[in-house]
Amino acid sequence: MTSYFSNLPIIAILTPFLGAFLTALLGERKKLLIIEKCIPIATTFTSLTSLIFLIKPVLINKYIVTYWMGNWKPESQWAIGIGLEVDAFSLFIGLIIAAACFLSAVYSFRYMEEDNGLDKYYVLFQLLSASMIGFVLTGDVFNMYVMLEIMTFAAIALTSFRNHIYKSVEAGFKYIVIGSLGSSFILLGTALLYSQLHTLNIAQMAALLHGNYTPVSILALAFMLTGYAVKAFLVPCHTWPVDAHMAAPSSISMLLSGIMSKTGVYALVRILYMIYQSTGRPEMEFLIIFWGAVTMLVGITMAVVQTDFKRLLAFSSVSQIGYIMAGFGVGLSVNKGVAVVGTMGGLFHMLNHAAFKSLLFLCAGAVLHQTGTTDLNKLGGLSKKMPYTTAFFIIGTLSISGIPPFNGFVSKWLIYQATFEAGYAPVTIIALIASVLTLASLVKVIQSVFFGQLREEHKDVKEVPLTMRIPMMILSAICIFVGVFPHIVSKYLIEPAAFSIYNIGSYIDVMFGKGYAVKMFKETVSIPSMNYTLAGYWNPASWLILFVILLIALILFFSFGYKTTNSKVVDDLINTRYETFTGGEKESYNHLGENDMFWGMRQDFGRYFKFIKNAHSGVVNDYVLWVVTTCALVTIYLFTLM
Amino acid sequence: MEVLKTLLQQMFYVLIFPGFLFCFIFGLFLSGIDRKMVARMQRRIGPPITQSFYDFFKLVGKDHIIPRKASKKAFLLAPVFGLISIVIISLFIPIFGFTFQESTADIIVILYLITIPALSLVFGGSSSGSAYASIGISREMVTMLSYELPLVMILLSIGKKAGAAINGNVTFSLADIGKYQSLYGIIISKWALIPAAIAFLLIIPAEVGTVPFDAAEAETEICEGPLVEYSGLYLGIYKLTQAVKMFIMGSLFLALFFGGSGFSNIFLNIILMIIGVIITIVISVSFVRSILGRLKVEQTLKFFWTVPTALSAISLILVYLKY
Amino acid sequence: MLDKIIEKSRIKSPWIYHVNAGSCNGCDIELIALLGPRFDVERFGVKLTGTPKHADIVFVTGPVTAQTKDRMLRVISQVPDPKVIVSLGSCPMSCNVFKGSYSVVGPLDKWVPVDVSIGGCPPKPEAMIDGLIKALDILKEKRGVK
Repeated sequence: MTSYFSNLPIIAILTPFLGAFLTALLGERKKLLIIEKCIPIATTFTSLTSLIFLIKPVLINKYIVTYWMGNWKPESQWAIGIGLEVDAFSLFIGLIIAAACFLSAVYSFRYMEEDNGLDKYYVLFQLLSASMIGFVLTGDVFNMYVMLEIMTFAAIALTSFRNHIYKSVEAGFKYIVIGSLGSSFILLGTALLYSQLHTLNIAQMAALLHGNYTPVSILALAFMLTGYAVKAFLVPCHTWPVDAHMAAPSSISMLLSGIMSKTGVYALVRILYMIYQSTGRPEMEFLIIFWGAVTMLVGITMAVVQTDFKRLLAFSSVSQIGYIMAGFGVGLSVNKGVAVVGTMGGLFHMLNHAAFKSLLFLCAGAVLHQTGTTDLNKLGGLSKKMPYTTAFFIIGTLSISGIPPFNGFVSKWLIYQATFEAGYAPVTIIALIASVLTLASLVKVIQSVFFGQLREEHKDVKEVPLTMRIPMMILSAICIFVGVFPHIVSKYLIEPAAFSIYNIGSYIDVMFGKGYAVKMFKETVSIPSMNYTLAGYWNPASWLILFVILLIALILFFSFGYKTTNSKVVDDLINTRYETFTGGEKESYNHLGENDMFWGMRQDFGRYFKFIKNAHSGVVNDYVLWVVTTCALVTIYLFTLM
Repeated sequence: MEVLKTLLQQMFYVLIFPGFLFCFIFGLFLSGIDRKMVARMQRRIGPPITQSFYDFFKLVGKDHIIPRKASKKAFLLAPVFGLISIVIISLFIPIFGFTFQESTADIIVILYLITIPALSLVFGGSSSGSAYASIGISREMVTMLSYELPLVMILLSIGKKAGAAINGNVTFSLADIGKYQSLYGIIISKWALIPAAIAFLLIIPAEVGTVPFDAAEAETEICEGPLVEYSGLYLGIYKLTQAVKMFIMGSLFLALFFGGSGFSNIFLNIILMIIGVIITIVISVSFVRSILGRLKVEQTLKFFWTVPTALSAISLILVYLKY
Repeated sequence: MLDKIIEKSRIKSPWIYHVNAGSCNGCDIELIALLGPRFDVERFGVKLTGTPKHADIVFVTGPVTAQTKDRMLRVISQVPDPKVIVSLGSCPMSCNVFKGSYSVVGPLDKWVPVDVSIGGCPPKPEAMIDGLIKALDILKEKRGVK
């Protein structure tokens, strides 16, 4: 129990905190800037390696690591101190967070060159990474709240980092108001639970709450659901990330959009599956699935009409979180076979979404860095100057739409199957429509930004430097690898995590000693292994055949150039042979950008789009009203049905 | 030895039947038959049935021009990926009980692979850098959006019907649907799924990209839409993809609604499939093409989200009520 | 062997594109009428394309006016090889009644090499089909191999 790996979680959390303080001490001196840039890379790398060392005991040997801070072990089966408890689900999310923070640190090495006050940026960045890792590794509800607050305030400060731009300050203000509202709800819920149960440890709460809900605990559930819904941006609490992800520097947008939302989902899963043990309750299943479906639809409808690159990506993030919540909602179903598929779909989509959304935001950052604008109406034709960025963005687009060789297909397929088998066929239909709309909005971005015709003022744009390309390359490689070998990823990462979500007996046992939980959780839920039939169609023979097909296709591509005639006709009179066809007119700039794409569809559904667009009024008071309304509705729903 | 035999068998499936060669030949024949039927309906003589072969080989022998503004790699790679994906689908569709490659999620795989050729058209058009192509891809995306909704509902309703009898819940596998049909009779004989069959016949022209739903590739208005800058071999690949898609859609219709075990001899089954596909394509593509004009893309969207959606929703509800 | 197939296919599937270089539209209407049920050139495999990059045979009508000269040259330069240029009607041959006008810059073969000329104002449909067949023969001769 006290072997080397019980110290690893605390190392993973503390190292970035220490790095933050060290960077703050070094201050803003020009000569020390290079050291300050390397410190976050070193600290996030340390966290990542310590979490990687934890893979063997936790994921492979199915062991749960605990660490009591200050060595305050539980007295007579009552937890007093703060406990860090790492099971497979925590480690799964922790790995995603640590890897993303490391890649973001590498990316911001060159990305943030033109800003000043960089020491403050790195301090805040390391606080953000440390608190995110701390949030998922802790086993104490109030500690989660503390880490959440550190995370929120670091994120707020980083959102308004470029405070000479009006948009950043406004985004930060909205984030403070709505984020604090969410945090207050969480604090209220935590306090209510503490007053009811007199303990703050998750494992002990699960043991004490087993099966008997008092009205106070139901109210606490409603508050905590709303609070964490604000963090995980479910509709209608989804209005803050739109501005925040647009205004933040891109290396931070990637963390906010791709990773911080996962911490909100993690907390929701912990509350629903572990503390309140709602598996097998159809009313909770309906609530979460309904919430997920609404989020999917509203998120992607707004994304189709956006005119700013990063805002569009933020709205599509909102929509993908809806997929994840629908997956976890099915996981609450009574039918265990279906429930497990749903949970695995939700987990897989968390991993995939982190990968491809980070990739898309990094490409957006590259475009912003080189051209200075992200307005879709002012860009065009950048694929000739930035070929790598275009290629990575296309890989990201294909992943997010769920096209087969890439990773989005596997997780989306699991979610479709889960929702259909659980009997929620309308949700499957909505999910498929949202998938096509996602493809449409990203094709709009590709046409407006990368393909098309180059503007005059962007003639001297160059490709981004190598340090910025490396994180993008790694993320694309992950997308392709996870898409082609989903069974490997599933066997080592997803299945242990799903197992630990359902079988919480061992989580409780580790804290209290053996035998405590057995009398409560008698049966273990087995997780089926994902062989190739489950994930669709990738078995090795098919892959070989596909490779042969591709080879033949490439041979066709290269060698079939039957050149024809030798007669040099007089078409070289005006050298217009290689211009685009314009009906004979002289070639001029006629780029069709964002405004003109899907014009007919936007006209036809004009009333619907206008209604949703006007609902997002931009006034903070409206948004706060929505959050409070959500809380009220959830409370009423839970009280009538539980 | 076993591995070598499996490998050779897989290569036969992929390259000869029903892979490249069979799709290639039969698809181009279907395209020619379609043109001949339209001409006959318009009291003309029309081109010979092998006309599409001549078209394809002529395009192979023509010079290709790549415009200066185009992004070369995407421009050249897009048609190739479209062709590869449409040939892969042919491995998943069973021919009257004989499957080449089965999995438990055939329908979802097919649904996604069918969107890849339309997507390759979009990427090819987008990378040409021409304004006409941009309008074309916008219309193509809206068309794709409009026919996905009824298509999903049809597949879900058939999956539910077949799955309820086979494994108690739902199924996504074409092999299961075939098994259900050989045990309980072909699906079109169940009256609850006849609206779904009609809706599927209405979707076929939109998938194939022919009048009245071909606003994306309108020849007269936007100078062939996304294909405006293509010439030579790559244009030939696009035309080939369109022809093979006709074959795939017809074969999918047969497997979903008329499947089962057919005869016990494999060659008779193949002949039955060929005749069935020809009849399906003639009814749903040629007859419609020779009568109707082209719809605007907003009208296409409105049409698909009312009529076929209503028909397939009726089927879905009836199937859920256990008819 | 592939060469033989390609050569045969070239004759059997000519795709046409039509450029109006200032004509009165008489020949244009006759050309479109050729594709109708009565004369039906589609039995020869002819298809009217919307863009010059897909075309083999280019039909040019009208005397070349000053305004359309540049545009016609640009369009014809974008037709890939092998191509055949056919001048339809008497206007491209000799400017017909418009000869000497201030806006006409001359017959077609001053600007592009013309392969087949079809005379008439407008030409009879049978004459147009005859010209099309001659164009096919010339296309066959313009072979080109790798």
